[in-house]
Amino acid sequence: MRKLNQLAATTAAAGLLLAACSPSGADSDTGNGDGGSGETLIVYTNSNADGRAEWLTAEAATAGFTIEVVGQGGGDTTNKILAEANNPVADVVFGLNHVYFSQLVAADTIEPYTPSWSEEVDPALGDPTGDGMYWPVVQQGIVLAYNADALAADEAPTDWTDLWNDERFHGRYETVDGLGGATTQLIFAGILTRYQDPDGDLGVSDEGWEQIQGYFEHGSPAVPDTDLYARMAAGDVDMGQMFTSGIPSREEEYGVTTGVVTPEFGVPFAVEQVAIVQGTDQTEDAQAFIDWFGSADVQAAWSAEFDSMPVNAGAIEQADASIVEFHAGLQQQDVDFEFVTENLSSWIEKVELEYVQ
Amino acid sequence: MNRSGVRGMLRSPFVIVTGVVLAWFVVTFLVWPNANLLIATFFPDGTLTLRAVDKLISSERAMRSLTNSFLLAVVLSVTVNAVGIFIVLVTKYFDIKGARLLWFGYASTFIYGGIVLAAGYKFIYGENGIATDVLLRFFPGLDPAWFTGFFAVVFVMTFATTTNHMLFVSGALGKVDQQTLEAAKSMGASDWTILWRVVLPMLRPVLFAVTILTFLGGLGALSAPQVLGGREFQTIAPMILTFSTSLTSRDIAALLALVLGVATIVLLVVLTRVEKGGTYFSLSKVSSELVKQKISNPVVNVVVHVLAYALFAVYTLPVVLIVLYSFVDSRAIESGELSFGAMSLDNYARVLGQSSGLRPFIVSVVYSGLAAVISVVGLIFVTRILSKYRNWLTTAVEYLLHIPWILPATMIALGLIMSYDHPNLLVGNIVLTGTTVILLISFVIGKIPFTLRLLKASFASVNDTLEEAASLMGARMMYIFRRILMPAVLPTALAVGALNFNSLLDDYDTAVFLAHPLFQPLGLVIKANTDGAVSLDARANTFVYTVLLMVITGVTMYLVYGRAMRPGKGRRRRAGRGVLPTSGGASVAPVPDASTRPGAGVTARTATQPSAEVA
Repeated sequence: MRKLNQLAATTAAAGLLLAACSPSGADSDTGNGDGGSGETLIVYTNSNADGRAEWLTAEAATAGFTIEVVGQGGGDTTNKILAEANNPVADVVFGLNHVYFSQLVAADTIEPYTPSWSEEVDPALGDPTGDGMYWPVVQQGIVLAYNADALAADEAPTDWTDLWNDERFHGRYETVDGLGGATTQLIFAGILTRYQDPDGDLGVSDEGWEQIQGYFEHGSPAVPDTDLYARMAAGDVDMGQMFTSGIPSREEEYGVTTGVVTPEFGVPFAVEQVAIVQGTDQTEDAQAFIDWFGSADVQAAWSAEFDSMPVNAGAIEQADASIVEFHAGLQQQDVDFEFVTENLSSWIEKVELEYVQ
Repeated sequence: MNRSGVRGMLRSPFVIVTGVVLAWFVVTFLVWPNANLLIATFFPDGTLTLRAVDKLISSERAMRSLTNSFLLAVVLSVTVNAVGIFIVLVTKYFDIKGARLLWFGYASTFIYGGIVLAAGYKFIYGENGIATDVLLRFFPGLDPAWFTGFFAVVFVMTFATTTNHMLFVSGALGKVDQQTLEAAKSMGASDWTILWRVVLPMLRPVLFAVTILTFLGGLGALSAPQVLGGREFQTIAPMILTFSTSLTSRDIAALLALVLGVATIVLLVVLTRVEKGGTYFSLSKVSSELVKQKISNPVVNVVVHVLAYALFAVYTLPVVLIVLYSFVDSRAIESGELSFGAMSLDNYARVLGQSSGLRPFIVSVVYSGLAAVISVVGLIFVTRILSKYRNWLTTAVEYLLHIPWILPATMIALGLIMSYDHPNLLVGNIVLTGTTVILLISFVIGKIPFTLRLLKASFASVNDTLEEAASLMGARMMYIFRRILMPAVLPTALAVGALNFNSLLDDYDTAVFLAHPLFQPLGLVIKANTDGAVSLDARANTFVYTVLLMVITGVTMYLVYGRAMRPGKGRRRRAGRGVLPTSGGASVAPVPDASTRPGAGVTARTATQPSAEVA
C-alpha cells in the first residue's frame, strides 16, 4: 500500500504544480470580477515581430502592468479571438486593422471603451462606423519594396500586377504562402478589390483571380527562416511585400537600400487599432493599459524604437520627421473595406485551396 | 469468475458509480465530439451540404496533399520494414561484431521521437546543419537546402519509427525455434533460404501489425512534413491545422480529418480480414533458444557489417550532436561550429535557473503526469468491471473505449474544439476551449486504449481463486480490490503510467490544436524554435530540453524495460509476446497467450500511438 500512497502523493504534488503555474489561466475561466489588479493581462497582437513583444512587456512592466504578449499573424489572431469568443483568453488586442476589428465587432468579441487619448487621434483613422469600438494607434503602409541597388527607379515595377505580367520580374519577387498574416492578406485584398464583379466567384472577376494565380506562378517562394531583406541582400530576389515600419531597421541590418513601388491605385494602408476583448475579467486593468499604450509618450517611444508612424497627434510631433514625411508621401489605396471585410475569410480559404502551390 | 448479465452487474454500487462516470466520459469525450464533427461537416444547418467536399475536390493542392499522405504511408511501409527488419536481424539474428553496441544505437528512437526528432534531424541535415557543411565540402555543387521535401520526410520518419520493430519484431524473433533452423540447415538450406523461407514467415504476424502502425503513422504524420516537407511535400495533417484555425474553413479541416479517420478504419478492417484468413501458429511450444547465425558468405558478411554500422551512425549522430550542442554557447550553435573549448554548462544554468526557460518543461511534465495518473487510475476501476463482467454492455463499452485508437489525433482534437467552444450541457455548460483543461482531457483520451489493453491483460492474470477465497471469507469488494487486485496490477499500472507520461512529454500533434497560449508545452516551444527567427538562446534551450527529455525518457524506459532488455532469456521473449494485442484497435495479430501474461504487455511505446508518436 505504500506504493499507492506514493501514487496519491505524486498526484497531489502534480496538481499543486499545475495550480502553482496557472495564475491567470485558471482564474480567467471562473470570471471573478474583482478587477484583479496585479494579474497578468493577456495581450493578443500581430505586431510582435522584431522585438516588439519583448519591448512592450518590459516597458509595460515599468509602468506597472504585468502583460503577456501572444503574437500571431493578423488573420490568425482574429481567428483565435473569434474561436475563443465563448471563453476569451485575451484581455486586450492590438495591431489589427479595422478589417479584422470589424469582424471581431460583428462577432460581439469587443468591449467598447473610449480611451483617455481619444481626442488626440484623427477619428477618421479609427472605427469607420463611428461607434468607437476600437481606436487607432499606428499607421502602416503595406507596400511592395524593392532593392534600389538592384533596380533603378525606372526599371522597378509600377504595380503588383507587373510582377507576374512582366517577364523581367518573374522569379525576382518573393511570394508568401503562409496566409495568416495581415500584411499578406491586405496585399491580396488590395489586388482583389480592384476586380470587383458581382457575378464573379466571391465577388471577384476571373481576371482578378488570374492575378492571384500569376502571383504564385511566377514568384520566388519565401524561404522559411530567411528574411526578405536577407534574400535581397544575397541577390536571390529583388522585391517583396513589406510593412512600412519594418523598412528602416531592415535597411540598417542588411545594408539594402529600399525603393517603394507607388502604384497609381495607391498602397493599402493598415491602421493598427487597439481594443478590449469582450469578456475580460480585468476590464479596469485593460482600460488602464490602453490609456497608457496609446498615449503620446508611449507611442512616441514605440515609434522611436520601431520606426512606426503614430496616430496620436502628440506622438507624431515627437516622431522622426523622415518617418512622418515618408508616410505623408504614400498615396493610400481606396480599398472598399466593407467589401473586403465581408469576403476576406472566403478569399483566403480559396487562395489556400486553389492557388498556393 | 462472474460472467453474469447486465442486470446482475448493475446491482453493485461500485459498478453503478464507475459506470455512470464512464458513460458520461464516453459520451462526452469519445462519441459526441466525433459525431459532432461529422454533423458540422455535412449538416451545419441541419440540411446536408457538400460544400466542404466540393471545395476539397476542386482544390488541386488538397488532392495533392491527400496523395502525398498516402504515398508517404506506402513508402514508409516499405522503408521502415526494410530498415526495421535489417536492424533486428543484425542485432538479434545474425552474428555481428558489436551487436550490443549496435542495439543501443538503434534504440535511440526509444528516447526521442516526434517533433523533437524532426527538429534534431533538421538541425543536423538542414541548411546550416553540420552534416550539410561537411557534405558541401565534398560536393560544392550541393543545394544547401537538400534536406527537404519527400526524401527528407521519408528519411526522418523511417529512422524515427523503427521503434516498433525493435520492440515487437525482436521479441517475436526471440521465439523462433533453434531446432527448426537446425533442421533446415541439415536439409541443406542456405542462409538465405533459411531466412526467407523459415524465419521471416514466422515473423509475418508481427510484421503485419507493425506495418499497419507504420502506415497509419505515415498517413497522419504532422511534425515531420511540417518541419521538413517544405513546399514540395505537403500532407494532410498540416493542412488540417491550417484550416482548423479559421471558423469559416473548419468544415474543410474536419473533412480532411474524416478522410484520415475513414482510411484508418478501412485499413484496419481489411487487414483484420486478411489476417484472419491465414494461420500463423507456427511457433513451437518447447522452443530452444535461438543461436546467433553466422553469415557464411564472407563478402555478404562484410557488406552486412558495413551497412549495420552505417545505420548505427545515422541513428546515433543526431543524439550525439544534440547532446554536444546542448553544452555549446548559442553563438557557436548559430555558426554550426563545434569546439570543445566553447562548451560549458551555461545553457543548462539558463534553462534550469530561469523560470521562463524552465516553464515549458514544467508545463509538459505536469500535463503528462496528470494525464498519466488520471488515465491509469480511472481505467483501473473501469478495467476491473470490464474484466469481471462479460456481457453485451461491457463489450460495447470496450469497443467505444478504442475510438481514440481508430481516429487520428488531429480529428479528436478538432472534434473537441468544435464541440466545446460553446456552452454544452454535457460538460456543465462550461466552455472548454481557452482553458487549460481541454488539453489534459485530450491527453487522457489518447492514452485510453493502450492503458485499457494492458491493464486488462494484467487483471486477467490475477488468480481468480484468490479473489473467490477472499470473498468467501467475507472480504468486502473494496477490500478485495485493495489487498488482492491492486498489488497484482500495480506493477503494470505503474509501468503503463510511466510510458504514458513519456509519450506525452514531447507531444506536439495534440497540443498544437488545444494548448492554452500561456501554458505551452515543450513540443510547441521546440517546434517554434525550429522556425528560425527566434533568439539564439531559444535555440540553445531547445537542445537542453531535448537532452532533458532524453534523460527522463531513457530512465523511464530503463525502469520499465530495463531487465527485459538484458540478454537474459525468458523475459525478453515474454515482452515480445504480450505486446501484440496492443497493436491497433482490432487485434491484428493472433497471439494465443497474450492476455494471460502478468505485466507482459508493458512493452509498447510506439505501438500505442500510431498517429501521435510517429513524427
